[in-house]
Amino acid sequence: MLSALIWLPIIGAAIVAFLPGNISAKITRQISFAIIFAAFIWSLVIAIQFKPESSTQQFIESLPWIDSLGLTYSLGVDGLSLPLLVLNGLLTCIAIYSTDEKIIRPRFYYSLVLLLNAGVSGAFLAQDLLLFFLFYEIELVPLYFLIAIWGGARKNYAAIKFLLYTTVSGILLLAAFLGVVWFSGSTSFAYEPLRTHNLPLGTQLLLLGAILVAFGIKIPLVPLHTWLPDAHVEASTPISVLLAGVLLKLGTYGLLRFGLGLFPEAWQNLAPSLAIWAVVSVLYGAFTAIAQTDMKKMVAYSSIAHMGYILLASAAATPLSLLGCLYQMISHGLISALLFLVVGVVYKKAGTRDINLLCGLLNPERGLPIIGSLMIAGVMASAGIPGMIGFISEFLIFRGSFEAFPVETLLCMIGTGLTSVYFLLLVNRVFFGRLSEKVVDLPQVQWSERIPAAILAGIIILFGVVPSWLGRWTEASTTAMINPQPAIAKVIPAVSFSEAKLP
Amino acid sequence: MKTTSLKTRIHPLKPYIDQLKSGNALLVDTPDNVMEVVGILKSYGVVLDAYQKNLIYIAEHQFLELFPFFKYFDGDINLNKLLRHWWHDRINFEYAEYCMKTMMWHGGGGLDQYLDTPEFKERTRKAIEAKIKTNLPIRLVDRLFPEFLLEQVRQQAYYSALGQFWYVMAEIFLTMSDLYDRGKITTIPEVVDHILKGLVAAANKPITYAVTIDKQVYEIIPQSVGLTFLMDTAVPYVEAVFFRGTPFPGTVSYNAQAYQISPDQSRFQYGALYADPLPIGGAGIPPTLLMQDMRHFLPDYLHNYYQTTKRKEDDLRVQICITFQKSMFCVTTAAILGLAPYPMNTTDPTEQKANQKYLEGWMDRFLTSQLMVANSDPNASLYSNKTENS
Repeated sequence: MLSALIWLPIIGAAIVAFLPGNISAKITRQISFAIIFAAFIWSLVIAIQFKPESSTQQFIESLPWIDSLGLTYSLGVDGLSLPLLVLNGLLTCIAIYSTDEKIIRPRFYYSLVLLLNAGVSGAFLAQDLLLFFLFYEIELVPLYFLIAIWGGARKNYAAIKFLLYTTVSGILLLAAFLGVVWFSGSTSFAYEPLRTHNLPLGTQLLLLGAILVAFGIKIPLVPLHTWLPDAHVEASTPISVLLAGVLLKLGTYGLLRFGLGLFPEAWQNLAPSLAIWAVVSVLYGAFTAIAQTDMKKMVAYSSIAHMGYILLASAAATPLSLLGCLYQMISHGLISALLFLVVGVVYKKAGTRDINLLCGLLNPERGLPIIGSLMIAGVMASAGIPGMIGFISEFLIFRGSFEAFPVETLLCMIGTGLTSVYFLLLVNRVFFGRLSEKVVDLPQVQWSERIPAAILAGIIILFGVVPSWLGRWTEASTTAMINPQPAIAKVIPAVSFSEAKLP
Repeated sequence: MKTTSLKTRIHPLKPYIDQLKSGNALLVDTPDNVMEVVGILKSYGVVLDAYQKNLIYIAEHQFLELFPFFKYFDGDINLNKLLRHWWHDRINFEYAEYCMKTMMWHGGGGLDQYLDTPEFKERTRKAIEAKIKTNLPIRLVDRLFPEFLLEQVRQQAYYSALGQFWYVMAEIFLTMSDLYDRGKITTIPEVVDHILKGLVAAANKPITYAVTIDKQVYEIIPQSVGLTFLMDTAVPYVEAVFFRGTPFPGTVSYNAQAYQISPDQSRFQYGALYADPLPIGGAGIPPTLLMQDMRHFLPDYLHNYYQTTKRKEDDLRVQICITFQKSMFCVTTAAILGLAPYPMNTTDPTEQKANQKYLEGWMDRFLTSQLMVANSDPNASLYSNKTENS
């Protein structure tokens, strides 16, 4: 059942790659969309059949692969990975739908996007450390090409930088995984039997350190973040959507699954440092965003700040904060995708993303009023305005983390205030006032350019009004992450999501 | 023969002065401009006709109705009309009221003077007494604030006067459209000439106002007062609406307390000839209503013309406003020529000098207007680029 989420896009990628050359880019896009939409629907079918009350892996599939290496093809899904799988399907649908009809080399492009989707799904589903690593590495290849071929003016620089950083991330990750297996004396890379509590604390800290740096690059956390703004600025809009919406989540997912999950004791030791790291990341990202004049770069730095909240909540490791982690992953995925889509439309129409050149885009006739309204909805959600998913995730994180790290939580809350500062600066300059002369003559905006952003805005509001629809999938799994770890559970009593009486 | 050369300062808008003196208009004569101006004035004529009927209905049938809930219904109240009113896909009579209030606020002309005379007060008092004789609360209000109802009647007089003015203008614009359709108007000077002839023909048309209360007719503005179409409605209207206007909030925030608005109303420059078309479509901007009304009655050839622009009709109301502004420069040309002290083709140097001074006076006021923008064709780039979604 789960394999379909990986193999359907892979087979689809092969089909699209070998389509006859006379098939137009538009038809290629439609075929690719049909394939990925089928995968997305399949992920929803899995979600419907998923038993939310169970905290264990479900729909398990396990096949021996390379026995001598201890590698098994083992898949499973729990409340942590399920929402991310659905998000991956949704955002890939939106990315393909938002791709320019006249894109060059369409068969190669759509094959890579489908391959990227398969790689990410595989990573979320993998129940074997080596299998996770394989999928984690596989997704780098299509993403590198997607930036290097269809990117902006400095695409080669950005793509190489991305590849170098993430390759280092991969090497560290592989080293850590090998270390876990060797030091624990295990004969396989299967996730479940691996427990590290018998390892000396020093070894645990060493392995956890490698994992933290590996995923810290992917998330990214300051100071390992410098590849991200370049990659975002140079990547095309659909790829930015996938990069911010899904790819970065591999880092946070890995942090929870393999950092907190495999090294609870070492995690507890490092938690205060991680909380401080989160504060640095949040404040650095927010202050740097204020200084930006490129809309896309501002959203990129905003991503860095918002991913810092996840590190804070992971460090606190309370049931509520871990639930907040998952909410923030989904929330950030949806909001950043919305913001990148809208910025993409502005760039496509106005030919610039420079805040100093754009003005008055909310003009009802000559501007981009609906796109502007969607942008305002996006920045409101990002700033944590109640009624939107951004508020729920940030509230859960701050509420869940405050008991463990009150000072760090308060400092991170300043980051929320700063989000309002930089996004209000952006909205005020770009969308209000008289339409600037440079953009007085914008081309028409088609509904097809508005619909993807409108769908995301609808979901952002829906989960903001009824957050329990998301929480019910994941609460059991996030709570279970903490309960088997007496050391942490003893310090911080579990507070369930339902007890918090959120709507 | 000895000739006298006129030594005048070089006015910044000298080319326009020369244009007017040579029998041309403020707006450049091009086939596109003719088509745009006639097309927009046709739709304006239809809208003006609806406005004038409603203004006169309000003046005559909503006299001192303190809660005129159905004043925009012209006496025909039914559910369909009510639903359409709420849906807002209708003629926005609010714009007509905005113009009426602008005209009343700036005043000028014989009507403004008459409304402060004892004769007006005496005539109005009789009508007021007849209207409120059985309405005790309002009688009390009238006793406490005797100017209150009087001021209401002044406003009613402006409703009527503007209605009568627009009745004539609607006729002029609609007949012009018919002539254009028959190929009898082909140039901008012919457009101006048609308007000018219409204004001259109606110049001495009397402006009167009377209401009927309990089958008794009360003359508020009798013909004997001598108010006429051109000097007492047309000229004050052009001054109030075309030139001065009101500083409504758009994308520019006007702050009177910060002295961003001149305390001297005669120095206002917020009228139709100065308006920035770009904010059209926004809420709180009265011309938005007019453009919205006109878009329902655009002739096909104008629709087709707008369809060739980059955004097609996505920015229709702004395009209508740009075209409308062009047409208003034609109407203003007609007014300038009609009020000129001497014919423009005079050969008498003294008369030429007087005309020169007269035209320079007008041009001083156009320095900050949209005249140059209208003639530079702000849509030029749109029309040359017909690709969509580059």
